[in-house]
Amino acid sequence: MAFTKAAVEELSALHGEPEWLRARRLDAFGVFEGMSLPDTRRNEDWKQVDLKALNLEAYAAFQQPNGLAPAGTLENVGATLRQRGTSPAVASIAPDLARRGVILMPLAAAASAYPELVQRYLFSAVKPERDKFAALHAALFSGGSFLYVPDGVTVEQPLVSQFWSGGPGAAVLPHSLVVAGKGSRFQFVDQFLSSDRQEATLASGSSEVFLEEGAEVGYVALQHWSVKTWQFANQRFHLGRDARLRMVDVALGAHLARLRVEAILEGPGSSADMKGLFFGTGEQAFDFRTLQDHVGPHTTSDLLFKGALRDQAKSVYVGVVRVEAAARGSSSNQANRNLLLSEKAKATSEPILEILNNDILRCSHGATVGPVDPEHLFYLESRGIPHPVAERMLVQGFLGEVLDRIPVPLVRDAVEQELAARIE
Amino acid sequence: MPDFEIKDLRVSVEGREILKGVSLAVNKGEVHAVMGPNGSGKSTLSHTLMGHPNYKVVGGQVLFKGKDVLTLPTEQRAKLGMFLALQYPVVVPGITMSNFLRTAINAKRGFDGKDKSKAISVKEFRALLKNEMSVLRMDDSFLSRYVNEGFSGGEKKRAEILQMAVLKPEMAILDETDSGLDIDSIKFVSDAVNKMRGPELGVLIITHYTRVLKFIKPDYVHVLVNGEFVRSGGAELADWLEAKGYSEWVKEPAKAPAALEAK
Repeated sequence: MAFTKAAVEELSALHGEPEWLRARRLDAFGVFEGMSLPDTRRNEDWKQVDLKALNLEAYAAFQQPNGLAPAGTLENVGATLRQRGTSPAVASIAPDLARRGVILMPLAAAASAYPELVQRYLFSAVKPERDKFAALHAALFSGGSFLYVPDGVTVEQPLVSQFWSGGPGAAVLPHSLVVAGKGSRFQFVDQFLSSDRQEATLASGSSEVFLEEGAEVGYVALQHWSVKTWQFANQRFHLGRDARLRMVDVALGAHLARLRVEAILEGPGSSADMKGLFFGTGEQAFDFRTLQDHVGPHTTSDLLFKGALRDQAKSVYVGVVRVEAAARGSSSNQANRNLLLSEKAKATSEPILEILNNDILRCSHGATVGPVDPEHLFYLESRGIPHPVAERMLVQGFLGEVLDRIPVPLVRDAVEQELAARIE
Repeated sequence: MPDFEIKDLRVSVEGREILKGVSLAVNKGEVHAVMGPNGSGKSTLSHTLMGHPNYKVVGGQVLFKGKDVLTLPTEQRAKLGMFLALQYPVVVPGITMSNFLRTAINAKRGFDGKDKSKAISVKEFRALLKNEMSVLRMDDSFLSRYVNEGFSGGEKKRAEILQMAVLKPEMAILDETDSGLDIDSIKFVSDAVNKMRGPELGVLIITHYTRVLKFIKPDYVHVLVNGEFVRSGGAELADWLEAKGYSEWVKEPAKAPAALEAK
């Protein structure tokens, strides 16, 4: 079997990790061994997910170090961390940020350099017991980043992590751990990329993001794995008092891309703005499970997941809004909009409301599934705009609302180009 | 031969015949008004002329520049020089007015995304818009807004006429452009249309009320009732309708707004 205790130990040694982390990995591996794959017929959380063609045995436990991240630099960013597979990372950070205590480094290195911080937060949000994939991720995560912005520090330019898988046939499990100190302000762009568009891997670009009191964080995750990738990823955000999160998920890659996104609004007055953008072609399938969990009073969440599907591509969206007993005066909005660009493309959307406190300001949700609006097409064509151009403009316009939220122009342009190519 | 000719046009919507054989000839330089009560087929006429997919042509022809435009897709009717100002302009989120107008102008010029020399320059685009927007009392902020999103009724109609002004059609159909407008907007819109009148433009104004015809004087007026033209005449026919309403043909309050005012 590809996933063994020996492999976990080997990986931990490869990264030169401290004993506590090795022990945690082994615990998680025990959880992994004790669990079976999710029952997609009986387990509500996994219904509509097709795992029939998944064979875990087919993947090596991790990638051997085999080359550095592609060369290239981003302009107007505060810090970058570039990694490929299990190879050593290339990091750069503006001297002034380093002086103010901002840390952006590979997670494995951070485990040795900042054990108290990493130990306190790592896997406290995304727990290995969640399901077999989360356990696998906790046992064999490799690569990924640790970002820490101290109390009161504002970072003007975006911080960027770019992770490339290192080749086919292995599990690719980068993990991001982000800690935003009290009153800190910054934007983080987390990219998950495949070196080869056709490689077969088992991947998860998971993240845990902690916003302490009054922190204002922008988080953008861009998933662009190869089309033969199985992705099972979890993102979880914990918000302290008056913390403000603005996050964007962009999903472009994978054969099956499952992503769980959870915002836990614990602190009173905290707010989360959550956007998603996806574009499926060929036989791609997306599976989004979102949670807006209003725990504290006067919390606000606003979610919009938008995507376009062509060919035989599919998407499943299940979104839970939970207003807990203490969450009086909360306000929540959830919307999922799907554009079908071919007869065989398919999207389903399911909102779930769990309201335990009726003293709320607002709780609304909406979903749409359908083709490009023929009235819109007629309008553009009546101005002489040719049909294919009109359709392209309408799809771009539809996605533009979310696309415009990506803070790094180079990343935004790359996504825009990829979307334009898929629209053609 | 007239410049634009509708011959025995019959159209059905969801299996029901709405236009039962209408014929009309418009020459460039002329303004024709088609008036009729609700449900007479006015919108069906305007949408069919532009090729809206919900309207099924059962018979007849529409001849323009030697072609039966009923056989052409919408975009080619526009390229040929036809323009429809919609009664209810559509809100198109995500596309700015500027992008919309520029793409439409470029399409008209035959710019296919490759030969850049055919595309309108930024400078030329600005100059073109500046002039037309001042006539319509529109400020620059319109250009960066999404098409019709958050526009008031008057702003939407002005934006329609702005599109007409920059695309310079030879046959313009104005569908209820006056409906829902305050008197200032009617004036701005009428000024802009009157400025465009001339030997190169034929206009078909479709309207329920005679109000707009006080500002844009028609050369001919046609009354459409139950999918057929029942009377045609000069501008004086509008005055006659103003007084009598459509009561000769249909049972409806002769002058609904006037009757309300009387109270």
